This record gives sequence, C-alpha cells and structure tokens, in this order.
Amino acid sequence: MEAAALRYTNVSVGYQGTPVVTGVDLELSAGQRLALVGPNGAGKSTLIKSILGLAQILAGTAVVLGNPPARARGLTGYVPQTDTLDADFPVSVRQVVMMGRYRQLGWWRPVRAADRQAVERALDRVGLADRARHRFGTLSGGQRQRVLLARAIAAQPRLLLLDEPFNGVDAVSQEAIVRVLRELSAAGTALVLSTHDLAVARDLADLVCLVNGRQWAVGPPAETLTAGPLRRTYGSSAIDVADGRMVLVEP
Amino acid sequence: MNWWDDVMYRAVAEVVLVGALAGLIGVQVVVRRLSFFTMALTHATFPGVVAASIIGVNLLVGGVVTGAVVAVGVAALTRRRGQDAAAATGVLLSGGFALGAALVASQNGFSRDLSSFLVGSILTVGAQDLISTAVALVAVALVLALCARPLLYAGFDPDGARAAGLSTGRWDLVLLLTIEVVVVTVVPAVGTILALSLIVAPAAAARLWSDRHAVMTATAVVFAVASGLAGLYASSRWNVAAGASISLTATGVLLASWVLVRLRGLVAPGTRRAVPA
Repeated sequence: MEAAALRYTNVSVGYQGTPVVTGVDLELSAGQRLALVGPNGAGKSTLIKSILGLAQILAGTAVVLGNPPARARGLTGYVPQTDTLDADFPVSVRQVVMMGRYRQLGWWRPVRAADRQAVERALDRVGLADRARHRFGTLSGGQRQRVLLARAIAAQPRLLLLDEPFNGVDAVSQEAIVRVLRELSAAGTALVLSTHDLAVARDLADLVCLVNGRQWAVGPPAETLTAGPLRRTYGSSAIDVADGRMVLVEP
Repeated sequence: MNWWDDVMYRAVAEVVLVGALAGLIGVQVVVRRLSFFTMALTHATFPGVVAASIIGVNLLVGGVVTGAVVAVGVAALTRRRGQDAAAATGVLLSGGFALGAALVASQNGFSRDLSSFLVGSILTVGAQDLISTAVALVAVALVLALCARPLLYAGFDPDGARAAGLSTGRWDLVLLLTIEVVVVTVVPAVGTILALSLIVAPAAAARLWSDRHAVMTATAVVFAVASGLAGLYASSRWNVAAGASISLTATGVLLASWVLVRLRGLVAPGTRRAVPA
C-alpha cells in the first residue's frame, strides 16, 4: 500500500521551541483536498511550513509522503502568498515558472526542451500562456497567484501546499485556480490549502482542519464547518470573522 | 616599452575592468536592495586597508578580511528573527570607518595617504593591480553565471526557494561575499567613499531602461565602463580628482536616465512601465 500523503499524529509545531499549533492529528491520502481553516494568526502558515520542514515539529510524529518533512521537499510543491514577493523584481513570468524546474535542472545544466514544454504546459493550464514574457510584477494579484501555481505544477509535486491562495484574488483567477486544483487532485495530487474563507473551504475541500493555536476539529466540511466547531475555534467572533466577512453558522 | 608602462594606459585599463566589475555586481545590489549593505562594506574595508598598510601586507588582503567579517556578520544578523539588520549595518558602517580613521590618526605622517583611501588613486595603479582586478572580474563573472539560478530564486522568493530545498542563507552569503570581493577590488581605484556610486548608479540607471536581468546587466556594465572612461578623461582634461569625476559621471548617467525615461513616458505613454516608485 502506498504511504499516505500526510500523516500527523498528535503533532505540535512552532519556532525556536515555542509551539504555535498543538494537538494536530491529520491523515491525507493521494488526491484528497485538505483545507486549514482558522482566523488570521491561528498558525495555518506555520502548519504548512512544518509540512515543508521549515517549522519545527516539537512533539508527535509527522510523516510526509513516507519521509520526515524536510526529506520530502523534493516531492512537495509550495505556493506562497503573492504579496510576500517584491513586485519590482526584474523577473519574467516564464522565469518564475522555470524555477519550478530548477530541482530537475540543477544549478547550471542548460534548459532542455522537456523543461520548456513543462513550463509552457503549466502556464497554459492556468490560462496565462500569453503572458510568459511579461514581468511578474506587472500582473494582477490573481494572475501572480496563478503564475506561482504554474511554477508548482511545473515541478509535478505529489503533495501541493498553498498558503491563502485566494487572498486578494479576483473572481476570474479564483475560478481558474479552483479548476486547476480539482484537476490536480483528480490526477492524484494531494492538496493542503489554508484559508479563512469558509465558502471556499466548503466548496473545495474533502477534509477541513479547524485550527487556532491548536487543532479544534478535523473532518468533512459538513461536520466541521458547523456552529459548534466554528464557535470553539473562533471563540466569540464566530459570527463575524476576519475581513468583516459574515459567517453563516448553520444550526 | 610595453603599454602598461604608461600611467594613462594603465588607468584606462583599470577603469574598464573596474567598470565591468561594478556593473556586473551592481545589478545584484540594486535588485536585492543591498545598497546600504554595500555602503557599509565600502566603509568597513577602510580600517582593514589602513591596518594592512601599517603592518605592511597587501592592502587587498586587509580589505578582504575586514569585509568578510562584515559580510558574515550581516548575513548572521539578518537570519535572526526580529533583528534590525539596517541598524546593525549602520553601526558597522560608522564603527568601521571610525576604526580606520583612528588607525590613520595613530600613525605619524600617515594622514597624507588618507585621501587616497577615501577617493582612490587610479593614476597610481600598477601592473599588479591590473592583474588582480582582472582575476576578480573573471571570478565574479563565473560565480554570478554559475549561481544565477539559486541567486535568482533566493532573491525573488526566499520562502519558495527554502520550500524547494534551497539553503537561502548560504546563497545570501555567497552573494554578500561576492559583493565584498568587488568592493575590495574597486576601492583602491575609486576609494571607499566613492566606490558605492560606481557600483549602484550605473545599475540603478540600467534598471530604469529595462526589466530584463540580462539586458540590465549588459547596460549596467556599459554605463559603468563609460562613466569610468568619461570620468578619467574629465579628470585629466580639467585636472579634477579621478575618483570624484568618475563618481560624478556615474551619478550624471543615473540622473540623465531618469529624465530621459520620464520624457519618453510623456511622449509615448504606455510603451514601457514608468519609473519605479
């Protein structure tokens, strides 16, 4: 039997010995979509970083694609938040997507036809093939997010991690991203994405993990995105969460 | 008689080499926003160079050693969360410079040479200096070419690069040390205070003309070499200090580029992105 994409058993993660999220129990198999849901500052990003081996596992057992997190890096893909990047940086869309091929290419081997094709295909999938020569920073926030998704696809990961992929993203881009994510998971890629948008989580995820300092609930959206678990996770702000968005708490 | 026996030929050759070196690394400095760090490096090499001349060892060695201490120190500081790298860099800058000044003052009859550290002395460049500048140019060009991918990835998206298995701290150190090699090589020609303008101004000007890394680099090298040659010519023509006129020319190129790019934007709006904010 193939190893689970992700298996966390009573895990605490954090930085420099200080826990950020505790008590995480997760199991994700190939092709499954997991949404990490919680308010801003709940530790969703830290949890994602821990899967990449970039945050400490302080307790429990974390297994990523059959390996300790840091050793699975070649098999995982990561889509960071666009607004952490320097929009002035002189780098073209094609160059950004090509970064996804660096692992296969090494540092100085010339680009092969296969790499070029992988880049074109990835850009085509996110609907930005005609933007390849543009400077990354001239694109809209949603388009940048799609470029970063294309970069991750070009590396053909078995587990894809996305940090708030719909933050500041227009409707067209959101639709394009959701479509690609569904295709990827249908083809067997496991997905982990963080969001504070309950509608997105309900629509896209097979599995929802509610976090806020600790794991409060995990399970299918129908069981987790309900009044009780949401109140426990969000506390008194269960009705009116981040960004002034209203949460429809179902009875 | 060989061409390098002539002071002016030697100066021209040095200016071309130094210009190419400054243009190459300048693009990295500007794109990575490391101008302030580079400024600190130029000033921190000063005590090393003075100490080396007091002890009687090669000035380059002195500069390399103190510069390396600063580069490693800044790299270590920026890796720590919550540390104010700008404050640390600033303190290193003025502290290093003060140490150099104190060393100079402690030596009787030494102060005459102070200005050559500060503004350089391209007309006293010897064949030995030419060789070491040429070696540095080849080495820096090789490092930048061979490490282009990790430097680009780590510079553009450090989080993404780390997630892809890149040790960004190590690549940052490679870049800082490469900048340091350039600074130490350039300082004897144009001085500690003026080196920064030759490194940053041509690259900043090139940045205005192009979005593409390769084009920017080529343009920056052309601008830096041209600034060096024009500055050298102006210095011999009007008897101005060479380091100063080279710096002024480089600054002039940046100013002219800024005006021209603005004008072009007014004439044909939308042909290119406007001047970056």
